Amino acid sequence: MLKYLVIQLDDTSVSFCHYPTADTAPRMISASDLRKGILFAMKENLNIQFVYPQRSLPDEYLSIIDSIDHTKIKPSTADDTSDADIVVIDGMEHAADVAWGSEQIYILRTGRARMQDIIPLIEHIKHIIKRLNIVITDIDTFTQHDFTTYAEVLHKTGEIVEKEYLAGNAVQINLLTDRMMLTSMNNCNAGHETLTLAPDGQFHICPAFYLESPDESCGDPENGVSIRNAQLYRLDHAPICRRCDSYQCRRCVWLNRHTTLEVNTPSHEQCVAAHIEREASRLTLEGIRRIGEFMPDVTIPEIDYNDPFEKHNNW
Amino acid sequence: MDYSIKETPESWQEGMAKNITFIVTKDCQLACKYCYLVGKNTKERMPWEVARQAIDYILDHEQDFPEESVIWDFIGGEPFLEIDLIDRICDYLKTEMFRRNHHWFDSYRFSFSTNGINYHEEKVQRFIAKNREHLSIGITIDGTERKHDMNRIWKVDGAERGSYADVVRNIPLWLSQFPDAGTKVTISSLDLPYIKESVLHLYALGIKEVNINVVFEDVWQSGDDRLFEDQLMSLADAIIDNDLYRHYACSFFSEDIGKPMDSKTDNGNWCGAGRMLAIDAAGDFYPCTRFAQYSLREKKAIKIGNIHDGINQNRLRPFLTLDRCTQSPQECIDCEMASGCAWCQGENYDAAETSTVYQRATAICKMHKARVRANNYYWNKLFRKLEQMGEERPQSKLTTVKC
Ligand code: SF4
Ligand code: SF4
Repeated sequence: MLKYLVIQLDDTSVSFCHYPTADTAPRMISASDLRKGILFAMKENLNIQFVYPQRSLPDEYLSIIDSIDHTKIKPSTADDTSDADIVVIDGMEHAADVAWGSEQIYILRTGRARMQDIIPLIEHIKHIIKRLNIVITDIDTFTQHDFTTYAEVLHKTGEIVEKEYLAGNAVQINLLTDRMMLTSMNNCNAGHETLTLAPDGQFHICPAFYLESPDESCGDPENGVSIRNAQLYRLDHAPICRRCDSYQCRRCVWLNRHTTLEVNTPSHEQCVAAHIEREASRLTLEGIRRIGEFMPDVTIPEIDYNDPFEKHNNW
Repeated sequence: MDYSIKETPESWQEGMAKNITFIVTKDCQLACKYCYLVGKNTKERMPWEVARQAIDYILDHEQDFPEESVIWDFIGGEPFLEIDLIDRICDYLKTEMFRRNHHWFDSYRFSFSTNGINYHEEKVQRFIAKNREHLSIGITIDGTERKHDMNRIWKVDGAERGSYADVVRNIPLWLSQFPDAGTKVTISSLDLPYIKESVLHLYALGIKEVNINVVFEDVWQSGDDRLFEDQLMSLADAIIDNDLYRHYACSFFSEDIGKPMDSKTDNGNWCGAGRMLAIDAAGDFYPCTRFAQYSLREKKAIKIGNIHDGINQNRLRPFLTLDRCTQSPQECIDCEMASGCAWCQGENYDAAETSTVYQRATAICKMHKARVRANNYYWNKLFRKLEQMGEERPQSKLTTVKC
């Protein structure tokens, strides 16, 4: 069931996820489509997340946006991020300029080249922030060497997080702490629980689908949602993922389509990355539990594979 | 007492052999009206160098092909148009499998599906003599002359000319070399009135095994299911009344079809796409020939690699994890007659609303149900006859032919 509507205010709105921010000419959603999207969300009881571009919006837009309860997602490079609920740092190179605080959630988009920088960054902000979501943007092209580095980075980050938890600071780093708190899948769910209204006034599975294939719309606010083969965006129609317990995994249906040509089938790389995160979470949780009880309902069993597909012959 | 129904023999190394198909040419002498190959042409012939590189890639990666045996399949168009290339490929395969001490050496077959037109030619016959122990060859003949010539016509300008006479003259030679060989018959809407006469005709030609199926495409007209059922019942009468069941088999009749299926224990995929490998003239790899562009009406080809970069394992994952229920609509999952209702992954993909192999095409639904009714009639009648003759009821045996 749909729960969230992402409204991409501009073609160049910042990416908060795996896809790159578009470097095309800016194109804003029309004020009338914006109003229609808000009305649709109100009638369907959807939470709205507005995704902002770097440049400022006209006042007319700001007042339309203000007419509804919502979440603001803004790039860290925007003129004013003080009212953002979520601040996106679109590349490690922008991290040094961020005015970190405890009121906002941060999303850091970074690739393999700067993975190592995650460790000093977390050391630096661990007492300031409440939550950081890290998106590794080029996971689909990771090599064995990259995975080894990723595991090392998460292991070291896990040690930092463990110390913080033991000292009473429950800082959240999605790649490590989400799995420690989950008892069922918590994925992106684009196309199932989340839909995007794009600047063309049409619904799309997520901004990535819109930017890549703008002609493949799935309805609009006036005529409603029409997703063809909608069941394939649900977990129960994903033969590998429904057997998996890397509950923190993004399960990016856009990356799936890229790598395997099917939205319901993840690549080997996506699974391995998620299982490296799962293993780092397991060790971190184990460390925290040495001192006392923590999230007693959660179990992260030790497993002998890092891609559930390896087991498909036994299903 | 030993029962006396001819069983459809299992295919060679069933379930244990890797099927590797060389699409050696996209050309054919015929222009069959039901041919699913929408992109046939005379230009795309596999160069020797491509074939050699494909073989080298496959044999170099022995660990990625752990199957006990291999079936090297050659298709077209008409594969025997490229007999020189095929001969060279087979020689190279034999030499290389031996030289590398490959686990497939001595556990391989060369397999052909041919229109039979140049079967008698010297080059083809020389090839057959050379590889006889490792060959399986199927000649396609659709039945009686009028039935065969309705669809299987020569590719010529001007007046339509059927190919029956050119094929049937090679049947005795073929059966003398492969006495247990079967033929494949494909039924489309216009063929329905001729099913009975065609199967009986093939039996009369000496072909003991007729593997027959209705096309998966959405071609069925209103009333076709009734016509189909009537034809099959009439065929059932002829087979039983004339004791043909003792020596001849027809894949339409199978004791195990038409039952409900458990969504957990009986959830396998029907077709072998992705477990097979097909290679075309450009050196591209496909999960099955039906995913090459010349087989697709609506969709883009699904390539899973090529001879230079190898197999992209990510592209194989959807095929290898496909199960029955995930791709089926609820109606199929709940169906009381589900078992034996087939699908072709390639047709599913081509007919799907989006670019996916996870949407099962159900155009054959009413035809399957008609088949099940006629099939029930067949077995009830046959068992009663056997019982009255004092023969034992045979063990249940699934004789449906999978693609
Ligand atoms: S499908 Fe989900 S995870 Fe993937 S890019 Fe879109 S929003 Fe992000
Ligand atoms: S790790 Fe792989 S199988 Fe598990 S949820 Fe993620 S993508 Fe799916």
